[in-house]
Amino acid sequence: MDNRLQYFFLNQPNLKKGCLKKLATSLMAVAMALGISPTLADASEANDAEASNSSVQVIQPELDRREIKPVKIDHENFEVGAYYGIISIEDFDSSELIGIRAAYHISEDFFFEVTASDGAKGDLTSFEQLSGGSPLFTDEDREYSYYNLSIGWNIFPGEVFILDKYAFNSAFYIIAGAGSTEFVGDSWFTFSFGAGYRLLLTDWLAWHIDVRDHIFDRDSFGVEETTNNIEFHTGITFFF
Amino acid sequence: MASKVLFINGLEPGSRQIMAIVMAMVLSAFITNKTLADTDNAVLKTNEKNRWFGWWQDDSPLLATVADPFIDMRTGPGRGYPIFYVAERGETVELIKQRTTWVKVRNHKGKEGWVHVDQMARTLGADGSQLAFKQYDRENFSNREWEGGILLGDFGGSDAITAYGSYHMTRNLSLEASLSETFGEFSNSTAATLTVVHQPFPNWRYSPFFSLGGGKRKTDPHSSIVATEDRSDNTLEVGAGVRVYLFRHFLLRVQYKRHTVLTNRDDDEEIDEWTIGFSTFF
Repeated sequence: MDNRLQYFFLNQPNLKKGCLKKLATSLMAVAMALGISPTLADASEANDAEASNSSVQVIQPELDRREIKPVKIDHENFEVGAYYGIISIEDFDSSELIGIRAAYHISEDFFFEVTASDGAKGDLTSFEQLSGGSPLFTDEDREYSYYNLSIGWNIFPGEVFILDKYAFNSAFYIIAGAGSTEFVGDSWFTFSFGAGYRLLLTDWLAWHIDVRDHIFDRDSFGVEETTNNIEFHTGITFFF
Repeated sequence: MASKVLFINGLEPGSRQIMAIVMAMVLSAFITNKTLADTDNAVLKTNEKNRWFGWWQDDSPLLATVADPFIDMRTGPGRGYPIFYVAERGETVELIKQRTTWVKVRNHKGKEGWVHVDQMARTLGADGSQLAFKQYDRENFSNREWEGGILLGDFGGSDAITAYGSYHMTRNLSLEASLSETFGEFSNSTAATLTVVHQPFPNWRYSPFFSLGGGKRKTDPHSSIVATEDRSDNTLEVGAGVRVYLFRHFLLRVQYKRHTVLTNRDDDEEIDEWTIGFSTFF
């Protein structure tokens, strides 16, 4: 360790070697207390070890296997948020809805997503309106709620530019999944697919615009029919 | 250190003493600094920076020093985003966060960008060793602790959807909890089950497994069917399947289960279920 430290103390004639070592150690302690490089401290220890090696120790001790610990970095792969939109309930007019969304990003390309919505309500069917008779379903039966488990693919990731100054990351994704829809008194197995656009206003705040089609077979009118219920919604999510 | 000796010689008590110590600290830091600069070692420079940050901040930032000839900083966490800055060997960057396989870093000029973990894994940390980032591969697949996913399929002629989560007690044995919903012609049902799953070959990419479990199933006849009531039954199940490791921490799962619904009628109901789905693991 040919540095100034040594230079200073080696030139002190009245200091003995053992004393010097002690001093160096205590200086190192001060240095470490100051937050100075552990590497430097290591180097001095190595030097000390070398010094003692030359006198006593012949065999190097076995090195411990180094344990590799991953860096403690903040992982932000989860996304949660809420949305508001409109759903066209086949045969039953359109309705507003609100929902919550949670997603887990597996890679830059794929993510799992869970959505759940409540608050939509079907209106009178055209038959009910035209016939003028008593309604076929109770108000409670007309309430429309669903959940969906989906897998999304960020098919067109990108960046958008606004004015001269701003650039935001974005992704256009396609998504497909399955879930359950509760409507007219029963739960129906529902496939859903759609596409969406995610604009990251910051690293952790995203704005979504989504279109989804919820497809399920329903036999509430006596015959089984496939219904397409198209939903448009927009929402905000947070990454954490 | 020299400065410390000088001050101590002509000491007066009180504030000058404190000032002396502070100055000694600063000066000794300076001396070491010069020594560090002389060695021209990138690792030591990291520490130098680390120290100054460490002085004034509670959470000392995570720092990494570029050891490769360069690392690419991109404008976004994806392979297609443009590289807008190249940090060269010896440059120190601060790690901010990680999203999937991308690490957001900030350099000394305050420029922020995303670097792929493969490049970050060759940078050096404060102690001079290579930084390790959590990456998922086949080995993690064999040693996974937690697993969760969604499955779709057929449950005795009904559509079925299942979400599950499992904890691996050993590499071979796991405990699994699942919630499922089925949609039949005449009735729907929801079920909650607890299963013990054994996989004899955890190292295989196509890893078979066997399961044994039980739970509760609630059957809910369609509203158009009259004179039936909701009922709740205990169930037992036995199954087999295979997990296929796909990439990163993503896997495909195919399984067969035979359910025995312990009804309070004369005969128990036996139902076959086939499902396929995707899962992730940690």
